Amino acid sequence: MFATLVEKELKSILLSPKFVATFAVCTVLILLSVFVGIREYKASIAEYETASQLSEQAVRSATSWWGVSPRVFRKPNPMQIFSAGVNNDIGRLSDISTWTDVKLRQSSYSDNTLFALFRFIDFAFIVQLVLSLFAILFTYDAINGERESGTLKLSFSNAVPRGTFVLSKFVGAWLGLTIPLLIPILLAVLLAMVMGVPMTGVEWSKLAMLIGVSVLYFTFFVMLGLLVSSLTKRSATSFLVLLVIWVCLVLIIPRAATMAAGQLVEVPSVAEVESQKDRFRTDRWDAFGKRRSEAWRERMAGAEGMSQDDRRDFMDNNREKWAQEDDESRQLMEQEIAENSRVVDEELRNRKAEQEQVAFRLARMSPASAYQLAATNLAGTNTSLKARYEDAMKAYRTAYAAFIADKRAEEQRKAREESSRNRSGMRITFGGGGDSPVDSSEMPRFEEPDQSFASALEPSLADLGLLGAFTVLCFAGAFIAFLRYDVR
Amino acid sequence: MELQSPSRALLEADNLTKRYEDGQLALDHVNFAVAAGEIYAMLGGNGAGKTTTINLFLNFIEPTEGEARVDGIVTHRDPLAAKKKLAYVSENVMLYPNFTALQNLDFFARLGGRTDYSKDAYRDVLLRVGLQEEAHGRRLKGFSKGMRQKCGIAIAILKDAPAILLDEPTSGLDPKAAYEFIGLLDSLRGEGKAILMSTHDIFRARDVANTIGIMNQGKLVMQRSKQDLAGEDLEKVYVEYMAGYMDRETETV
Ligand SMILES: Nc1ncnc2c1ncn2[C@@H]1O[C@H](COP(=O)(O)OP(=O)(O)OP(=O)(O)O)[C@@H](O)[C@H]1O
Ligand SMILES: [Mg+2]
Repeated sequence: MFATLVEKELKSILLSPKFVATFAVCTVLILLSVFVGIREYKASIAEYETASQLSEQAVRSATSWWGVSPRVFRKPNPMQIFSAGVNNDIGRLSDISTWTDVKLRQSSYSDNTLFALFRFIDFAFIVQLVLSLFAILFTYDAINGERESGTLKLSFSNAVPRGTFVLSKFVGAWLGLTIPLLIPILLAVLLAMVMGVPMTGVEWSKLAMLIGVSVLYFTFFVMLGLLVSSLTKRSATSFLVLLVIWVCLVLIIPRAATMAAGQLVEVPSVAEVESQKDRFRTDRWDAFGKRRSEAWRERMAGAEGMSQDDRRDFMDNNREKWAQEDDESRQLMEQEIAENSRVVDEELRNRKAEQEQVAFRLARMSPASAYQLAATNLAGTNTSLKARYEDAMKAYRTAYAAFIADKRAEEQRKAREESSRNRSGMRITFGGGGDSPVDSSEMPRFEEPDQSFASALEPSLADLGLLGAFTVLCFAGAFIAFLRYDVR
Repeated sequence: MELQSPSRALLEADNLTKRYEDGQLALDHVNFAVAAGEIYAMLGGNGAGKTTTINLFLNFIEPTEGEARVDGIVTHRDPLAAKKKLAYVSENVMLYPNFTALQNLDFFARLGGRTDYSKDAYRDVLLRVGLQEEAHGRRLKGFSKGMRQKCGIAIAILKDAPAILLDEPTSGLDPKAAYEFIGLLDSLRGEGKAILMSTHDIFRARDVANTIGIMNQGKLVMQRSKQDLAGEDLEKVYVEYMAGYMDRETETV
């Protein structure tokens, strides 16, 4: 009997005229989005490679470590094809230097604002908006539609247990909608393979997981449709109710949650933070300037009343010591400035994280947000992408700074030795230490942030659990509602 | 094995009473019995309680008082067992619009526990209820009301249950089909089915029914056998009973 009911459910979905049209639209959308996504990915990978090579070449052709100013680039990730997340919003590169902070700049959207306005349509977007609507379109009248057509009465004039009937509805509707949708999804995966997207094992598992989460999200809407359908007598009512719920879940709650979080947790603007840092920096430089003039006055005081020659000797004897003193003092100040920026950034980051947590907690009332968070977490294009890259870049900057300081000191020493050998009295020069290019192979290499499967899965577990819970709740609700449903 | 005596009551209403949630007393202590090989016709105006009676037999609603029994099984105690013995034709049959007549028949036959039918059996029964062969493979959404009604009747026949409940089965049938339907009912009675039918068609009821009951405002106001009514003008009796009941009602108020 169960099989008969499931078969009927499958048939009535597959034979309905709206099925072919909707299915075709979904197929075209999914394939098109993945196709465009792959092309975008390939373009950005080509750009990444060219830019990295150019930057490396620049380093290699430098003849002094003083002339080296490397750049690091964010490597495009194949998962961005399926869930772009914030990928296009954040910068693709950062300059690495000892005197400026790491800052990602040149995002796709800043290059092409048209895309910023309309955004990219990726697979996750289609699942989130289109497939959820698709699920509702096919389940809003699953129960009350059968009541309206009298088939519920006729079915229950037979010895059919209600539990069996409603379970067959779940299974039939789920199979009838999910299996056909897996076809375009698998085709999209095939497309990625054919078009030669370099997916590693980790990325395949992430993609498999993303598809799993998408199916779970879709299942939620199937269950929601059944729930509302078994709580209402008329299909016109349930359609309207579902549409309102859909708009709230998919369009309103995620945005409202962000807006509410913005009101609840205040975060200083980037301009404020920058001016705060600037003020500190200027203060310190002023103080440093004053200290140095003070020091010079004192030093010169030591030469008071000396003859021209004595004075020169005095200067020559002390020059190195003073330079060292100045250098140390400057380094100390720079450290202070760096420390201040770190503290200010950290504070900003903490505030942002707090705001984000509030926004996420509120947004997760909606499965649509939970899905979006899970999808971007799995794809590695979540809101922490920027922080993760900046952290990796900062770590690199630290390693680079230590390395370059050594190299420069070495160069300086050589130059000084040379100058003292020549006794030409030449000032220490910056740059142009030698004619032979520097050995760039010694330079520390930038390491991409952690992109393991576990690191992507772990933050999405909460959302997965939530989606599962929402789905089970709807299922249970629909089941109970149907047990007492008036079939007349 | 129980003895298949022809007079065995398959459908019984025992003080059957239904008061809806809104306080409407739709059925007021109704008693009747339909034996195997018998047709019982319920007459009565709109809102008299005919559909309510049939819904109680199917346990679509639960009685406020009394009980409905199918072959001795109290329907609201063991609805699944009772429904195994019931076939049903609702007023305004709709069925699955995207299925063909044959697909609809096949689904409901299986649901009724009959998995042994061949395609020929479906064809035969559809022809028996008067649906032209060219329509058998067509989707139901293109069907007229009467054509759908025929499919509904075919489904009830296919279930081959000992008792049949018919709620205004001839509504929507053209005169020829309605006439043929009477022949069909007669042959089903011949097969030993107990048939409970609600109808507004006094003349056909008189032609085919063994017993006629007239309902008014939830009460069974008259119940007489065919022999008992012989030579009387049923329409007159009907109107008289309705009016008489009304009079009595107004007297007591
Ligand atoms: N779900 C319900 N809730 C409240 N009252 C109801 C409900 N269903 C039926 N009724 C009332 O019960 C009474 C009997 O209705 P019923 O449908 O049994 O009449 P009927 O004899 O089948 O009429 P008709 O010939 O029009 O089909 C009517 O007064 C009707 O208003
Ligand atoms: Mg009725």
